[in-house]
Amino acid sequence: MNYPVDLKYTKSHEWVKFEDGVAVIGISDFAQDALGDVVFVNLPQVGDEVTAGETFGDVESVKAVSDLICPVSGVVCAVNEELDDSPENLNEDPYGAWIIKVENVTDEEELLDAAAYEAFCAEEG
Amino acid sequence: MSERKRTPLYAAHVAAGATMVDFGGWEMPIQYPAGILTEHLYDRRHCGIFDVSHMGRLIVEGPDRVAFLQKVLTSNVAALKPGRAQYCMIPTESGGAVDDAYLYMFEEDRYLLIVNASNTDKDLRHFAKYLPEFDCKITNVTDSYSSIAVQGPEAEAILKTLSGGVDITGPRKNDLGEVQMEGHTVRASRTGYTGDPTGWELFIDAKDVLWLWNRLIELGAKPTGLGARDTLRLEAGLPLYGHELGTDPSSAEIPIFAVSLARFAVSFMEEKGDFIAKDILASQKDATEKRIVPIALVERGVMRAGMDIYCGDRHVGWVTSGTMVPYYVFEGDTPTDRTGKRSIGFAYLDRTLTESDSIAIDVRGKHLKAKMVDKHMDQSKPPYGRAIV
Repeated sequence: MNYPVDLKYTKSHEWVKFEDGVAVIGISDFAQDALGDVVFVNLPQVGDEVTAGETFGDVESVKAVSDLICPVSGVVCAVNEELDDSPENLNEDPYGAWIIKVENVTDEEELLDAAAYEAFCAEEG
Repeated sequence: MSERKRTPLYAAHVAAGATMVDFGGWEMPIQYPAGILTEHLYDRRHCGIFDVSHMGRLIVEGPDRVAFLQKVLTSNVAALKPGRAQYCMIPTESGGAVDDAYLYMFEEDRYLLIVNASNTDKDLRHFAKYLPEFDCKITNVTDSYSSIAVQGPEAEAILKTLSGGVDITGPRKNDLGEVQMEGHTVRASRTGYTGDPTGWELFIDAKDVLWLWNRLIELGAKPTGLGARDTLRLEAGLPLYGHELGTDPSSAEIPIFAVSLARFAVSFMEEKGDFIAKDILASQKDATEKRIVPIALVERGVMRAGMDIYCGDRHVGWVTSGTMVPYYVFEGDTPTDRTGKRSIGFAYLDRTLTESDSIAIDVRGKHLKAKMVDKHMDQSKPPYGRAIV
């Protein structure tokens, strides 16, 4: 399992990276492995307001659906539309396949660094 | 909580990296590292193998075995000949299903009845209520007698390699056989739960089942977990107890004739005589208020069991099973390397609805367009089962 050190993580298994004030958000390697084959991603739209700790979309695997919880509050400025046709990108490259970008960030959830997140995942099994 | 049971192949599943889950009290592989989509596609194109040793295997023997089975099953047991199997239901007194089952006649003097793993104990308690009236005996051989399903276009070639070229069974669905495979006695049934035009279920002593599993893998078959078993049966339009049989999302009993397979599973032949819920079942024929039908999502999304279905503003039923299922794109009679995915399932819908009615599924607050379909897969052109998209 891979936990890049340049990212922050949530306990609901999203990752976030801040690039020039924009929060880039995806799901972790641990999350994609637990989900299994991702077959559909329900994305928000550019301009939607998102709130830290609340749902901004969902990912569906063959087995189940999981909510995507936003690590930050702000406004969606980009969505990765490639995921409409290739949701499996989340399995194949979880840290390359970002899901949304959020600007005007006003608030953020409790975020873990890579070491703390890895320890958290180890506990969850 | 009693401890979860394990099949003799448990260690092999774990060693192969399978994700193990609780399934009806058994610790079973839901998927192997390849994943559900890959396992599904491999079965359709090559050969999938499934550990079905968790399913309940019951031997029914004794002078009154036929009379007993005629009473507690819906099929005409007297019509079953040695070397053949038949699908049947175990009816409740009110015309629902205690379980669905397969009855095998490998020998003249006894029957093998295979029931769902999660229902085995319940079925045995149900049978015990009727057994005192009959001179016959039921023995649960689940632990001593194991089973592997071998399904898909390459199943026959792989099995004939093990049998030294001898036919495994006759050519018809539900034909049974017994063959020697490299010194081991294996019984086989031309049946399956994938809808593949060719497939067998094998029975072997529990002590030999690991040998058989490993040989099948050496010959090119791939282990397939419960996840792909579910997507394969869904694509094939086969019901699953707990979804299409049993009770609906409002906890009401689903009448047996709500399921189209009931036509093959229930017999009203004079030879069969009286059986549990016979009159109620006769009144259900083509007359249940709701029925189970295959449906497909037209808009993008994924349907799931329990979702509500509407026709306009009117609530007309529920999704009973649903997920996203992969398929191969065919050119003529040959599968290409191109694949697609679609969300399909079963719905329990008002009988008055037809394919021309527009229906929508409430997918977490959004009403997505869906359609009733005749079937999801064409099983009539061996060796491939192909998606009807």
